[in-house]
Amino acid sequence: MNLHWSVVWDNAGALARGTELTVLLTVATMALAVPGGILLALMRLSGSRPFAWFSASLTELFRNLPLLLVIYASYYVLPLALGVAFSPFVTALVALGLNVSAYNGETFRAGIASIRKGQSEAALALGMSGWQAMRVVVLPQAARRVLPVLASTWVSLFKDTSLVSVISVGELAYTAMLIRSRTFRVLEVLTAMAVIYWFLGYPQAKLADWLNRRFGVSE
Amino acid sequence: MSLDFSPLLHSWRFLLGGLGLTLGLAALTVLCSLMLGGAIGLARCYGPTWVRVLLVFYIDSMRSVPVLVVLVWTYFALPIVTGAVLPPFWAGLIALTAQTAAYVAEIVRAGIESVRPGQARAALALGMSRVQAVRQVILPQAIVRMLPAFGSILSIAIKDTAIASVIAVPEYLDRSQTLAGQSFRPIEVYLTAMVVYFIILFPVTRTVDIAYVRLAHLGRS
Repeated sequence: MNLHWSVVWDNAGALARGTELTVLLTVATMALAVPGGILLALMRLSGSRPFAWFSASLTELFRNLPLLLVIYASYYVLPLALGVAFSPFVTALVALGLNVSAYNGETFRAGIASIRKGQSEAALALGMSGWQAMRVVVLPQAARRVLPVLASTWVSLFKDTSLVSVISVGELAYTAMLIRSRTFRVLEVLTAMAVIYWFLGYPQAKLADWLNRRFGVSE
Repeated sequence: MSLDFSPLLHSWRFLLGGLGLTLGLAALTVLCSLMLGGAIGLARCYGPTWVRVLLVFYIDSMRSVPVLVVLVWTYFALPIVTGAVLPPFWAGLIALTAQTAAYVAEIVRAGIESVRPGQARAALALGMSRVQAVRQVILPQAIVRMLPAFGSILSIAIKDTAIASVIAVPEYLDRSQTLAGQSFRPIEVYLTAMVVYFIILFPVTRTVDIAYVRLAHLGRS
């Protein structure tokens, strides 16, 4: 077994661009999925039957499907159903965004529901309006409980972006596989890919742990 | 847009075989992960310091790297290191187990740490040995608290087997891809796949949700 690690340095530029896209995809998906999650949580808590039902079914659907299948389905079904051809990147953003929105919606709903009813009742008794009670009393407390869960979702999302390589979005996993098939330096390139993911993912996982310790609730 | 599901009807045996492989791979993954992860979790809590440091590094690394990367590395790169070629199914099982066991170990640790330290101290004060205290006092309470989380592992494992299609394990998603390519009916094939996965996963996640509510208080001390 002779290894040529130089192949990693020769392709450092491509790997860096792939890494960039992985990070961009993570940030863009979360930027969509936080408002998406808030919207789903509000629909769920709105008291309107159809809205609550829609939100709940969307959440259940995405919780119970493998993400890879959602990605393939978006890739093949979206263009035919909507009659518009999307770039792989946009398709990936839609699939990941829907998936993470569903999880975030559940996170926000649970966060708001975890604040005891007495809190909002006390706020109302003090003469606050319903919206004031929500904004001043419930949401600030819910935010602390939501933050650590959101951080864990972020780490999962960062890892899950690797799955969109199957619809040839040129992120890190796709780039590494491409270099592998071009150079046949399988062990070197795949190890480099794993190491890059590790260096990016490890601090994020540790940060999520810290947030869980700092803000996590144990009763 | 007209839908034509006849290619699926023609190939139902082909798909059913894939479904069997999906469930078999998931079941084996969960079984191996519970055994390996249980051992890792116990060693991480009660082992000597150097073992703990090593296991924490392993667990955190598995939490930092995508399962796709572990799968691809195990299938393509590991044989270069070991010299032995792995069939896709076994490579899939090894990679999925390596990753899932790390999550199981974290569940085991969380369960053990959730038992108040006073309990272990009381057991020791009663003259129990450390092993007795763990076996008779801590684990019975901790395991009840772990049960719902083990249920989540099952649904995660079923979903993760789909990723094994990337290394051509002929499970349900892989066979769906093959069929979609041959029949030029991707929409029907993937819609069916969504229904199939949902029907399998929904009862699992529902049961786990109920288990969280029903079992959570049993381990309370």
